[in-house]
Amino acid sequence: MNLSGVLFLFVALITLVAAWRVVVSERIMHAALWLALTFFGTAVAFLMLNADFVAAAQVLVYVGAITVLLIFGVMLSGATEVRGDTNMTFWERITQSKGGNPVRAILPLLAASAFAVLMIVLYHLADLRIYPAESVITDTPHAIGLALFDTYVIPFEVASLVLLVGLVGAIVLATREEGE
Amino acid sequence: MQQFISDQIMALGLPQWTFNVVWALIQGLLVLVFILFNALFLIWLERKVSGHIQLRVGPMRTGFHGALQTLADALKLLGKEDIIPSSADRAVFVIAPIIAFASAMLVYVVIPWSPNLIVQDLNIGLIYIAAVSSLLTLALLSAGWSSNNKWSLLGAMRSASQLISYEVSLVLSIVSVALLAGTLSLNGIVQAQQEWGLWFVVLQPIGVFVFLTATLAELNRAPFDMPEAESELVAGYSTEYSGMRWAYFMLAEYSALLAAGALNAVLFWGGWSGPFLPPAVWMLIKVYGFVFLAMWIRWSFPRIRVDHLMNLGWKVLLPLAVVQLLITAIIVVVWG
Repeated sequence: MNLSGVLFLFVALITLVAAWRVVVSERIMHAALWLALTFFGTAVAFLMLNADFVAAAQVLVYVGAITVLLIFGVMLSGATEVRGDTNMTFWERITQSKGGNPVRAILPLLAASAFAVLMIVLYHLADLRIYPAESVITDTPHAIGLALFDTYVIPFEVASLVLLVGLVGAIVLATREEGE
Repeated sequence: MQQFISDQIMALGLPQWTFNVVWALIQGLLVLVFILFNALFLIWLERKVSGHIQLRVGPMRTGFHGALQTLADALKLLGKEDIIPSSADRAVFVIAPIIAFASAMLVYVVIPWSPNLIVQDLNIGLIYIAAVSSLLTLALLSAGWSSNNKWSLLGAMRSASQLISYEVSLVLSIVSVALLAGTLSLNGIVQAQQEWGLWFVVLQPIGVFVFLTATLAELNRAPFDMPEAESELVAGYSTEYSGMRWAYFMLAEYSALLAAGALNAVLFWGGWSGPFLPPAVWMLIKVYGFVFLAMWIRWSFPRIRVDHLMNLGWKVLLPLAVVQLLITAIIVVVWG
């Protein structure tokens, strides 16, 4: 294995461990910080694929904005800990019931395996050719700008509209009616 | 020097990547030395400037006009006991100052001190700067939260809301410059100003104002130093920090100040371009000019209130930045 392969494994390992810690951390703040590390690891992976613009955008948007908003939300809501009943066994925690009713475990398992199947299908459908080194784009901001505002301008605008609708919806949901 | 190290490594029969690693380490060390030296100098300068503005003389006893005062302070900080509050979240408490300093230092990768004196001229330079400096918010929030102290938490919350609010205007004012220059590379922006034959300060009068104000807010400097307003919050997010960990925040603050000066010089004042003197000298003159201006502002204006701060950010600076962007876009489309 060459050097970049070793580096990639190292980064991937850190990212995966961080992602695992996001799920199992008992303090929301810790989970948020691990999430930041996960995003950062993903950014490094983008960087290794010569996608420097995407990597920078990943850090800017996900680490710098989303995580910070998340932490902000945690601090404002005052919910600092997610600690289940510590006397529960692992199986009981998954099913969230005493005695571990196995039927209740089916739904999360189903969701998880459906996601796994989806990932495997996507992996096989994806166009994973190895491109020659000459065809790698070095002026990424230029290429991405052209792609977004020229080739794919309609999907881009539709996506922005969907986000706008989501934003308005969030404001409507969060606003209390007068007199309440 | 790059060639010399390259030859030495080739002579030892080591592969190419060892050279890359060694060269990166040397560049990192050079940047670190530059930052440390400047932090010592800038803290001394701040104390002298504030002293003279308040009709005092500032530090006088250690060295010539107190020039060695910050060195003595730094040695004192190094020798201090390392205190971590018993109720603090140890891991986060320890890592927060490191993230803060790293984010301030990473900016120096893309700053051009002269046409060739630049660590790495990334073609996404401006986005890179916005990305790495956004890590500071995370560091301050972690510091404030992990201290387990209400002053720290309040300071951290204030700094986060302030950084988020002003980042929008800051990035918009940078985008106008990128539109004019047609590039995101910092060296490219300086070259574009040479091709236009004038500095962007002439073409972007509103942008300069928005950028300056938003930078001061991003740096948490007075009149925008609510996050560490000492009269109400003790010392904000750094209340529980002492010794070297506190010094890391101090270092981060002053290296960010210097980087902001460099960014200001590159974006609006022609960077290293100027007559007669060598490029690096021009760059340093402009950078220290900005730093002096920031200190002048700090010691001349009173701290503004939190709600005023938010009003200024969202109702004044943001519309101004958008107007500037709109005018720039029209000009570029019509003339470009």
